[in-house]
Amino acid sequence: MTLPVSIIMIEDDEGHARLIERNIRRSGVNNEIISFKNGTAAMKHLFGADGSGLVQKGNALLILLDLNLPDMTGIDILKQIKENKYLKASPVVVLTTTDDSQEIKRCYELGCNVYITKPVNYENFANAIRQLGLFFSVIQVPPAAS
Amino acid sequence: MTAEGQRRRAFWQILLFSVGLLVLTAISAGSVYLVNKAREDNKWVVHTIEAENQINALLLEVRRAESSARGFLLTQGSDFQSDHEKAVASIIPALDKLTRQIGDNPAQRESIEKLSAAIELRLDQFSREMNFVKQGQPGNATALVREAAAGNTTTTISNLTNAMIREEERLFRIRTANSDRSQTFAASLTGIGSGLVVLLAVISVWLVRRSALARDEAEARLRDANVNLEATVDERTADLREANDEIQRFAYIVSHDLRSPLVNIMGFTSELEELGGDIFRRIGGLTHEAAGAPPLAAGEIALEGPDQQLSVDFAEALGFIKSSIAKMDRLISAILNLTREGRREFQPEKIDTRAFVETIVSTLAHQAAEAQAEIHIEPLPDIVSDRLALEQIFSNLIDNGIKYLKNGVPGAIRIRGRTKLGYAIFEISDNGRGIDPRDHQRIFDLFRRAGTQDKPGQGIGLAHVRALVRRLGGTMSVSSELNTGSTFTITLPINWNASNRNADK
Repeated sequence: MTLPVSIIMIEDDEGHARLIERNIRRSGVNNEIISFKNGTAAMKHLFGADGSGLVQKGNALLILLDLNLPDMTGIDILKQIKENKYLKASPVVVLTTTDDSQEIKRCYELGCNVYITKPVNYENFANAIRQLGLFFSVIQVPPAAS
Repeated sequence: MTAEGQRRRAFWQILLFSVGLLVLTAISAGSVYLVNKAREDNKWVVHTIEAENQINALLLEVRRAESSARGFLLTQGSDFQSDHEKAVASIIPALDKLTRQIGDNPAQRESIEKLSAAIELRLDQFSREMNFVKQGQPGNATALVREAAAGNTTTTISNLTNAMIREEERLFRIRTANSDRSQTFAASLTGIGSGLVVLLAVISVWLVRRSALARDEAEARLRDANVNLEATVDERTADLREANDEIQRFAYIVSHDLRSPLVNIMGFTSELEELGGDIFRRIGGLTHEAAGAPPLAAGEIALEGPDQQLSVDFAEALGFIKSSIAKMDRLISAILNLTREGRREFQPEKIDTRAFVETIVSTLAHQAAEAQAEIHIEPLPDIVSDRLALEQIFSNLIDNGIKYLKNGVPGAIRIRGRTKLGYAIFEISDNGRGIDPRDHQRIFDLFRRAGTQDKPGQGIGLAHVRALVRRLGGTMSVSSELNTGSTFTITLPINWNASNRNADK
């Protein structure tokens, strides 16, 4: 990786965020993790004040997205990321408690790269996140520009 | 239309009918009476004319006798004599007949007595005249004629008969008037009666028309009420469906949102467990070192006395928390699955029920063999329904039958079917441990079970089955006694009724 990849985590539940971060770290991923507790703050960071996404030009991003947010649905965020010319190449991992097949299908249709259901069983949860971390450590992420 | 009004109308109709009948009867009776009376009057009129005739006939005979007697006196021809004798012979019978005919009238009877006397006198004169003539004494005969003329016998007879004729004429007038009156009366009675009947008919027609009108109105109202009722039912159904959807959504959201904190609780409990392990390992290591013992192998925890106890308590507490979380997770998953089932859209298709149930039974063959249970499938009616839902219903019930057999008794599970009024009725019965009647309602509740809890289970199966049966438009019930087995009865519509099923998606 020529550029360090930033992991953007959009997750309203602080506990979940902490658990995810811990398990990613445990899998040996040391990239910067920027976490947001609501959709608005995340959108501002991703798309900038003008909403064009220009601010992220040249940055390599990996987005971890929860679908149930207090101020907007993760689906909307996913849709806007995949419609933005600077951000659409960034991989998006949807990590949520929803395991409704309709919802999963919808996310993949909108361009989500990976959909993971948070297992309540912690062993499985930790395992899933660590494997996700391993996945992060090997995938190539393009810079957000073209 | 009120009941009071109906009664009143019925009363009027009956009254009208009775009055009509009465009028008809009266007219008939009156007509018969009057016709009889008119006939009677006519008879009297005819009688009068006959009497008058008879009087004239008598008078004529008397005149004939007189004129022939004169002829005989003048010519002494035997022709006149025989003519006279014929006339005299018919006088007495004519007189008798007349007497009989007018015997009912006292005034006439008096006249006829006088007339008889006068005629007898005249007849006597005739016979004497004739005798004189026959004996060749015409002078005597002529004297006798003169005497008779002086005695006015003939005039008396003539006067009497005239009086009688007048009397008869008077009677004729009275009787004719009577007869006329009777006939007029009969005619007017018939007229009035007919008028009355026509009037009653008009009233009847009017009443019938009014009643028909009222009936039409009532029909219209009934139709309106029906339409309203249907609209109301539709409205209520829509309300219920909405309420049901609301509950489904609510259950879905709640169970979903409950899961989120549960992930945290479980996660941090596990973190805590790991932390606890680290802390106790460190305590163990420190006490171990303090005691001057050789260093421990990596990961090994060596605790003694109270430290050991603390570690055990700590692990126990975490164990309870974790098992409770696991249980809660299972419950939430169960609710989620139920709501998901409630939202699934059914795909109705024609199902060969017997073959279908045989397939289900074959997938449960292993469990059945283990429990030493035999499953008998009797002929079952085919239905149109959702295959997946039916599969869950039957496999749950058959599985329950196998699961809750009596220990040590070979199981016999029977699946029967029949049809009734557009519904297929299936019965799944077993000879298992049975269900206490007190628990019959409870077993259909979510997370509730009954009897000895020696088999694994969540208390979801029957709740799920009943929810499915209801969504398919059917009903479900159980009949069972403790230790004698159970029978679950499912009633499902034979044909798919699309309108009220998929709409609640």
